[in-house]
Amino acid sequence: MAVIKIKNLTYYYPDIQKPALDNINMEILDGQFVLLAGSSGCGKSSLVRAICGLIPGFYGGTYGGSIIIDHDEVKHMERCELVKNVGMVFQDPESQLVMTCVEEELAFGLENMGLPNNLMKRRIMEVSSALGLSGCLHNYIPELSGGQKQKVALASVLVMQPEVLILDEPTSQLDPVAGEEILTLVKRLNEENGITVILVEQRLERCFHLADRVLVMEKGCIACDDIPQETARWAVRNESSFIPPLAKLFAGVNASSIPLTVKQGKQILIPYTHFPEIKRKKAPGKKQRKIQGKSLVDVHNLWFSYSNGKEVLKNINLKINPGDFTVIMGENAAGKSTFLKNINGLLKPGRGQVRVSGWDTKKVSVEELAPVCGYLSQDPNDYLFLDSVEQELSYTLDNLGLPDDGIIDDVMNKLQLTPYAESNPRDLSAGERQRVALASILVAKPELLLLDEPTRGLDYQLKEELGNIMKQLQAEGTAVIIITHDVEFAAEYAENIVLMAEGSIIAQGSKHEMLTGSTFYSPQLSKLFNNIIDGVVTLEQGKEALVKLMDSGENAVSG
Amino acid sequence: MLVYREKDNLIYKLHPVTVMSYIAVVLLLSLIFSHPVYLLVLFFAVGAVIIASGNADKWKYYLLMASGIVVMIILVNSVFVQNGSTVLFYGPAIPVMGKIKVTLEAVCFSAAMGIRLVVIISVFCLYTYAVHPDKVLKLFSRFGKKAVLVVTLATRLFPLMVQDVRRVTEVQRCRGVKLDTGSLRQRLKNRLPVVKVVLLSSLERSMQIAESMHARGYGSGPRSFYSRDLWRPRDFFVLGALVVSVMTGLAAVFHDWAVFTYYPRLENMNFKELNAALIEMLALSLPAFLNWGWKRWQLLKLKI
Repeated sequence: MAVIKIKNLTYYYPDIQKPALDNINMEILDGQFVLLAGSSGCGKSSLVRAICGLIPGFYGGTYGGSIIIDHDEVKHMERCELVKNVGMVFQDPESQLVMTCVEEELAFGLENMGLPNNLMKRRIMEVSSALGLSGCLHNYIPELSGGQKQKVALASVLVMQPEVLILDEPTSQLDPVAGEEILTLVKRLNEENGITVILVEQRLERCFHLADRVLVMEKGCIACDDIPQETARWAVRNESSFIPPLAKLFAGVNASSIPLTVKQGKQILIPYTHFPEIKRKKAPGKKQRKIQGKSLVDVHNLWFSYSNGKEVLKNINLKINPGDFTVIMGENAAGKSTFLKNINGLLKPGRGQVRVSGWDTKKVSVEELAPVCGYLSQDPNDYLFLDSVEQELSYTLDNLGLPDDGIIDDVMNKLQLTPYAESNPRDLSAGERQRVALASILVAKPELLLLDEPTRGLDYQLKEELGNIMKQLQAEGTAVIIITHDVEFAAEYAENIVLMAEGSIIAQGSKHEMLTGSTFYSPQLSKLFNNIIDGVVTLEQGKEALVKLMDSGENAVSG
Repeated sequence: MLVYREKDNLIYKLHPVTVMSYIAVVLLLSLIFSHPVYLLVLFFAVGAVIIASGNADKWKYYLLMASGIVVMIILVNSVFVQNGSTVLFYGPAIPVMGKIKVTLEAVCFSAAMGIRLVVIISVFCLYTYAVHPDKVLKLFSRFGKKAVLVVTLATRLFPLMVQDVRRVTEVQRCRGVKLDTGSLRQRLKNRLPVVKVVLLSSLERSMQIAESMHARGYGSGPRSFYSRDLWRPRDFFVLGALVVSVMTGLAAVFHDWAVFTYYPRLENMNFKELNAALIEMLALSLPAFLNWGWKRWQLLKLKI
């Protein structure tokens, strides 16, 4: 029986004056599935680290109050006892696996517990078969996919048979399919084995419905602690971003019940769909811009193979105009990143031609294309090495031989980085680091901006900020191409969608054509209104459609 | 990246202690033997085991590389070692050394040393392709826990660092940094940020790994050791053959059968002294013979 009682918990990181956790009081019952949400730096990770004893054991700092697990206070528990009670899976699979072989990784924690060989064998056998890892026990870990690595990380904790399983954004580095698989596994463990689960997650649409209870944290305090439906109402009342689109839609129009899944949402809408005049109306969509003149990017019959002979891009044709906002989607290894690198000149076409702003990328170097074509890779940390944000921005200008005609101040101002001008970028939060990396690209005023998975690991609020920045750049005439798996982000902010599979573009068009009527590449709202009102993609459209639907339904009844 | 790939043959199904013992014995014998026939026996025996392990294609590259070095050894030794009484030909006179003479003894000695080198290189080929590094580390982990963990972590993180370098280099180029043009000094200077970013990211990653280890109880008490490697009859056969091989080898060295005198004149070869070499050949080729039978006879496969 693992009951966690937290009383007056306050915590300060070493040399930091602001509390990371500020007087937390709560209780988590045995077998509960608790979802912990909140913005970056609000204290979620600190709270779960305190529960598993990493705070203050690993981090040090000033600690007040108490955490009691099954009548024992965490700070007085022996570490070998604590690890038997609480297991933690971290965000990045690369940074938590220690060994080179899967079987050795699973054995690592058991060896630390000093278990006999026979017991270790049994536990490894049980967990690996439960998680579908039996076939890859002897595999070399660096050669596994991200999803498999995270599964190994989960298994390496589960073999220790903890009563409380903590997961700190376990899907943030994974593609949607792998992420879904991890969350399904966790839910199964919670339901079938009664393990208490505390899940910290940003992509709430994936897990809101799985939780028994949702905690929202703000500035080190718990701002809301309720069942998912009530948390959704609270979020709408308090204008909090931490609510999935579906729940936000219904809570926003004060619906009597809040659905957590598309299925529940459809059931709520059934009574309104019986009126023939409502059925299959088309939601108003924005008209496509008509562009005159030459394209900014002209990809013609592009084929690309790596030096090992692997053919990654096959007959790609695409035109991008100034001010376009295009999202490229598709499964892993579809060739999306390779395509982006062919546009910015990091890779050269094998056959065909890529023209950017009139330049044939085969004939110019990446460095020559850099002022025209900005590129933001998946990890913003790859950009940050100087002592201040301002230096990072001027570094790009110096390399490109561009003058600072006030552009540094302008960009910092636009991306709300002015207060951090003198701060070390590595000391900033995840969202701020990404803005610094983006700013270091934008100072060159590129006509084309390429972003590879920029929403990975970002919370709703940061995604909203990023989306708005992209919209602003688009309005100023910059063409934006983004690779993302995040359908909700694409639905809300993009204009055009390109769908890739096995190195080819299999479909492209406006988001209203592309994101409706699809089983998997559709946002929650499209799925909800599918076969009821066509063309609903954004939250704004969803609200309009829902209100109309409800009004028409009521009018039909009263008439 | 890890080049070890498990294959379906008996060499990969041996206990790591057995394979490591085999490698150690061949290395030891190659260092104590100087007789060319005995060295050739080691070469053929190791070659048979490498072929049996299915790595002949990889061994080919090792042999190509080694043959270049062997030619160099023969050339250098023949020219610079002026010992030996059977002069094959005289070369030109060079300062300090005087007139060069190439002797049969010097050529034979360097050829024998060349075979020794090829044996050692072949043993490393076998180690690289047929032994899982984790299993070897595991063998030693009982003796040097922390050192072994550091080596394991380095093996684990190296591919990640290579990926980091590749990615950060791309990012720098996209920020207009010219990494391939300019003077050497300029290029080195331009690469410094890449090193700095990779080091900073590696430091952050090592903190995260340390945290993960802490959360899984590393250092919280005495550790136990996980092992799933099983001992089978084949291991005892091979280990038995290795014992025979070491005993025979030591006896051959003790009786000077495996020791050959090259200078000042090549000693006569006594064929009776080569009986021990035959025993060595049979003993050290046993894994290859067992693999041959293992593949052909189901009964042998079941029994060993």
